[in-house]
Amino acid sequence: MRKEPANRISEKGLTVWRIHGIFYTLIVLVPAIAASVLAYIFEGPVWIYIVSGAAVVLAAYLLIFLFPKIRWERWRYEVRETEIELQHGLFIVKRTLVPMVRVQHVDTSQGPILRKYGLSGITVSTAATNHEIPALQMDEADELRSRISVLARVAEDDV
Amino acid sequence: MSEKNRLHWITAVIELLKTLKEAIIPLVVVVVANGIGRERTGNFWMDNLTLLIFGAFVIFTSVAGFIKWKRFVYWFEDGEFRIEYGLFVKKKRYIPFERIQSVDYTEGILHRPFGLVKVKIETAGNSSTLEGADADLTAVTREEAERVSEVISEAKRRRRAGVQEPPEIDGKAGGILSAGEPEEETKTLFRMGRKEIFLLATFSGRIGLIFSGIAIFLSQFSDILPYEAIYGELVAFIRFGVFMVVAAVLALMLAGWVLSVAWTYLGFYGFTVSFDGDDLFISRGLLEKKRVTVPLKRIQAVRVSENPFQKLLGYVSVKVHSAGGSVQEGGSAIGLFPLVSKREVNRLLAELFPEIETSAELNRIPERSRPFYYRLDFFWVIPLVAAAGYFLFPYGLLSLLIVPVIILLGLWQHRSAGWAITGRQLTVRWREFTLHTVYVFRKRVQSMQERQTIFQRRRNVATVTASFKSGIMPSKAPIRHIDVADADGLMDWYDPRYRADKHAAVEGTPAPQGE
Repeated sequence: MRKEPANRISEKGLTVWRIHGIFYTLIVLVPAIAASVLAYIFEGPVWIYIVSGAAVVLAAYLLIFLFPKIRWERWRYEVRETEIELQHGLFIVKRTLVPMVRVQHVDTSQGPILRKYGLSGITVSTAATNHEIPALQMDEADELRSRISVLARVAEDDV
Repeated sequence: MSEKNRLHWITAVIELLKTLKEAIIPLVVVVVANGIGRERTGNFWMDNLTLLIFGAFVIFTSVAGFIKWKRFVYWFEDGEFRIEYGLFVKKKRYIPFERIQSVDYTEGILHRPFGLVKVKIETAGNSSTLEGADADLTAVTREEAERVSEVISEAKRRRRAGVQEPPEIDGKAGGILSAGEPEEETKTLFRMGRKEIFLLATFSGRIGLIFSGIAIFLSQFSDILPYEAIYGELVAFIRFGVFMVVAAVLALMLAGWVLSVAWTYLGFYGFTVSFDGDDLFISRGLLEKKRVTVPLKRIQAVRVSENPFQKLLGYVSVKVHSAGGSVQEGGSAIGLFPLVSKREVNRLLAELFPEIETSAELNRIPERSRPFYYRLDFFWVIPLVAAAGYFLFPYGLLSLLIVPVIILLGLWQHRSAGWAITGRQLTVRWREFTLHTVYVFRKRVQSMQERQTIFQRRRNVATVTASFKSGIMPSKAPIRHIDVADADGLMDWYDPRYRADKHAAVEGTPAPQGE
């Protein structure tokens, strides 16, 4: 593979992903509790409690600790004069190259959790594809957005 | 300023029919929900509820269609095509001539007795608005359509003559387009023979569509058909024995197939491709005539597809991916040559796109990536076979036969795939079951991605995907499991950084700015 892009995303992004992980774990937790309650009412076998408990613990470990960590370690980006290069992916390492000339517009966006941590995501759109850098410091994101939009305007198409 | 024009009154009827057609499924649901298995209550309103709903709907729609026709005006002013419509919310849409990408014509069955056409004016659609910035003139006379297209192309020509084009356009990149010349002659490039259309119809996958059509048709009329009578006959019918039933089913399938062949045949009748240097014109159809315009400079990529069955007979098909924004025109790729002789195809492509290199030697996929082409499929095959074997023992074990099929297909995919870079052109070939070859230029590639799984890293291979614009959606050309060095090479080829030196060499000739 080519040389890794230079910049990492904000460390607080990891925290945000962990919070997301907590929400996802809740999705597993609800049926697990439901199964346990039903098992209690109908005096079901013991293994139901064990399986539901194990599922929740495993989901919590993967979704709150392991996956966000790998993802954060993996996430790199670099905005150069003529192109943007991204690297991300949990199991599959994806390296994406977007030339400045192809950039049509840049957006920053911010959900409630990102806002709380003073973060913001950037989405770069070409005529066909969208590429997101998920968590940057707000001022950094704004600066990057205007930088990309300036670079995209001056970039020359050399076919 | 020209005066404001109205559409033909048939517009109201067409709008009505269109709305009815779109509403048919909800209406059927209403009818089925209300009409089946209900006792008559003696209450007129309750008994005829469905009819009443239907009637009210028809009246409402016809009034809406009438108003739409009544309020719709269009005219030319200040180098813009302008339309105005709407009753409560008045909408105006002004489209500058130079933004107009293509003017398409359709002649439906309702149009033809009156000598009318539908004109569709398409702009460089913005992908964020699905509605697009198009303008449809639902029904105008043929002379009027002629006039509209004349005004627009006249304005475009004047603009082209006025604004000096970059010099190299009449040199190399677009040799067919010389700046000062008034008008190019329209030249017919390709016409499908009856035999080809028939073959295409035979291969078309519309059989299922016709079947579901029949099913919907039957279910729709289920409360009208005299079931008891049919049932009595059915009992007698069954006495004829299984043979008759099988024969009936076969006859029904045959009828469906014949219908689908006829349908496709009519749709593709007289399929002709012509071009005038700037634009491609694709016209087809017997009952409903269509003419689609594809500006050459909006074409993003060309795809040649070889269905193994069609290839046995020596035919392939060619589609172009255009940046045009129309959603309803059969999705993203436009059929350029739906069925064309394999011997002819390269000559035709060369005539249309002289810059495309079709005979480049392709790089093959390394031998060590062979397992990757079928290994992933085992994720769904193994559970499937296991389940079938367990629950349907012993016959379920026959599902094991799927394994060699999957492996063989994978091997075939591995062997057929390839890629090549020739200057600014990327050629990608891959097989699903049909073999696809995509030709795309670097300036049309919107982004490129290199990806690697843990397993791929062990074997030192990677997958590269080139995305380009096709309609409003991205389309992708995958180069799977190639050597990492080659994958990096492809990324470097795309990376503008490594073109800086070459850039200096060609700086004197700025590129044409297309989309």
